[in-house]
Amino acid sequence: MSAQYDDGTILLDDATLERFHRATGGEAWPCYQCGTCTATCPWGRVRQEPLLVRTLMRNAQLGIDEDGESLWLCTSCGICEDRCPRGVPIVRILRALRSLAWKDRRIPEGLPSVLWAVHRDGNPYSLPPCERTRWADDLEVKEFEPTDEMLLYLGCTASYDRRIQKVARSVVGGLRAAGVQFGTLGASEPCCGETALAMGQTAFAAEIAEANAKLFAARGVKTVVTISPHCFDMFQNHTPRLDEGFEALHYTQFLARLVSAGRLVCRGSFPRRVAFHDPCYLGRRNGEYDAPRTVLESIPGAEIVELEESRAGALCCGAGGGRMFLETPVGERFSDLRVRQAANAGAEVLATACPFCITCLEESAPQVDQPLKVMDVAEIAARALEPEGADVEATASGR
Amino acid sequence: MAASLIRPEEAQRIWVWLEHDGTSLEGVSLELLAKGRELADRSGEGLVGLLMGHELDSLADEALGYGADEIVVAEDPLLEVYTTDAWCDAAAQVVLEKKPNILLFGATPDGRDLAGRLAVRLRTGLTADCTDLEIKTDEPALMLAAEVTGFGGGVAAIIACKENRPQMATVRPGVFRPALRRSHGEEGVQSRCPVRIDPGRVRTRVLERRIGEAVDITKAEALVVGGRGVKGDFGLLETLAGLLGAELGASRVAVDEGWIEKDRMIGQTGSVTRPKVAIVCGVSGAMQFTVGIMEADTVVAINSDPEAPIFESADYCVVDDLFSILPPLIRELENSR
Repeated sequence: MSAQYDDGTILLDDATLERFHRATGGEAWPCYQCGTCTATCPWGRVRQEPLLVRTLMRNAQLGIDEDGESLWLCTSCGICEDRCPRGVPIVRILRALRSLAWKDRRIPEGLPSVLWAVHRDGNPYSLPPCERTRWADDLEVKEFEPTDEMLLYLGCTASYDRRIQKVARSVVGGLRAAGVQFGTLGASEPCCGETALAMGQTAFAAEIAEANAKLFAARGVKTVVTISPHCFDMFQNHTPRLDEGFEALHYTQFLARLVSAGRLVCRGSFPRRVAFHDPCYLGRRNGEYDAPRTVLESIPGAEIVELEESRAGALCCGAGGGRMFLETPVGERFSDLRVRQAANAGAEVLATACPFCITCLEESAPQVDQPLKVMDVAEIAARALEPEGADVEATASGR
Repeated sequence: MAASLIRPEEAQRIWVWLEHDGTSLEGVSLELLAKGRELADRSGEGLVGLLMGHELDSLADEALGYGADEIVVAEDPLLEVYTTDAWCDAAAQVVLEKKPNILLFGATPDGRDLAGRLAVRLRTGLTADCTDLEIKTDEPALMLAAEVTGFGGGVAAIIACKENRPQMATVRPGVFRPALRRSHGEEGVQSRCPVRIDPGRVRTRVLERRIGEAVDITKAEALVVGGRGVKGDFGLLETLAGLLGAELGASRVAVDEGWIEKDRMIGQTGSVTRPKVAIVCGVSGAMQFTVGIMEADTVVAINSDPEAPIFESADYCVVDDLFSILPPLIRELENSR
């Protein structure tokens, strides 16, 4: 263990250095300590003391233990990585440091039980696997077959969270309108493992990913389409490909293809001013900014406005990197800033395409003076599928 | 591993270290008495509760009623509050005198502290933070198989302590059902085991003991919970909770608004509660909240919105304004006193 003295002197030791080095693969070394990361980190906008990303990188280089808090603040939004002049994979390094913290049992309260839930119930919410299909009770969504165009992967949040179930139902509505033949894995759908990865349980996440790769190969999955960008990121970047492999897509990408192919046509309209909030895991982490906008632009009546910080510069909602399962005090929630940006842009609807973003933004939405409705892109599309689209309904859903 | 101070063939009975606050036993101790009883019955062993402290008469009587064949009481003024040195010395004396085969602790702060020190003192193994216990009756000396799970390894490990005695384990609170109070005539016997503690060996002295205000709603048997719908006024709910002997709980909105303190928050980033009954008032019931009451036996939800998702998680659904439902309920409860 490295030791710090009262006068600020830090005593380094080789064992910790070696341990950090092995965990991070030395990826922190290219960092030349310019501090762009600290300056761009959104925590600096809600807290007096920003998240000292630069210091975290220096500590990773030298093998200095963390204070135990800052490591868990990172939402893995990736804006620091995007701007880092040295291309340091900061999020990956922080995950590696988190994995060491697990071994030392320096873990924020509440996280072990979330992982236990993934381990036991196959979802981070400790909810029964048999209830995984309840969202589709009256929809008659069939079981996936290899002849299907694609596998619709719900993910845990869309399966269990009543608010996000509406998003899943809207996606199904869009797919059906476009005549897509698809199925789901029903009650046997596994967790994608992103929660474990984000929390730094890299070995456990890899275990889940390997099982999922086998499952997809065995079931003959060629294309998997996810509701959540987090599941998409997991399948796209962290799940191995077996046999012929599979293509991972976020549902906005799939819908955008349907729009471009002329298969998905909105005959109704959505006469609202809509701003799109880029989810970090879709945008910065996977470079997809256009697909959701393509879908929104295909909707008659919708007037698309851009937020002050958008696309690669988008501000995070605050829920990534496992933060969805940790408490963020009032006044420190990024989503509060984001809904204000939406109000400033004159948006009536703040659209996004991620279950976590919806949850956070919807909770912050009542803070702005004008009415601001948070909707998923799929919900807006579903609303405009048919001519007599119903009026925007209110969803002030608190906890 | 060092040679055992106690030979396996002379070690006998299943022991549970009974943690208490001076007046009542900790929940995890009752859980271990229930599990210990089950293991004892299966293996034909006896079950012993070890009660340590100072002036324990009434507590010892109380402890007799939870299924142990014997309660062994070790008293000393130096055991009045928990200190590692004094309690470890005393516990080691009892163990070396009575030679337990199995010795179980709750994985609480004190339990973990004592068990770790004691295991080293006794030259035996300790299986920490177990999530299940089993007994292998086919082994000659009744082997304890303790399930330990942890991330990093990913899967569960079954750990046995083969040669050394006692076989020690700390067990995570909440994994077993607590023991129920037995009827009179089924109680065990009480005995005393004198201990001698050398004050010179106790390196810490407790100058003052102050119990914090913090509440632990995870232990509440009844909860009255308020959300956005209470509109900042927990007064009625507090009155109701007082009449029912319940604790107050809250949704995140109510905590965010500053209507109630944060340690009463229920849900994903608050507490997961396991009350017998929860009366949930003016909470819409987003999943982030309902995961915190899934384990409640009975949920009564009061909400003026018939579409509120909370009703899907409730056993009894009252569609009405809580401000018109609670006052008559409170009056009725007051009258029936």
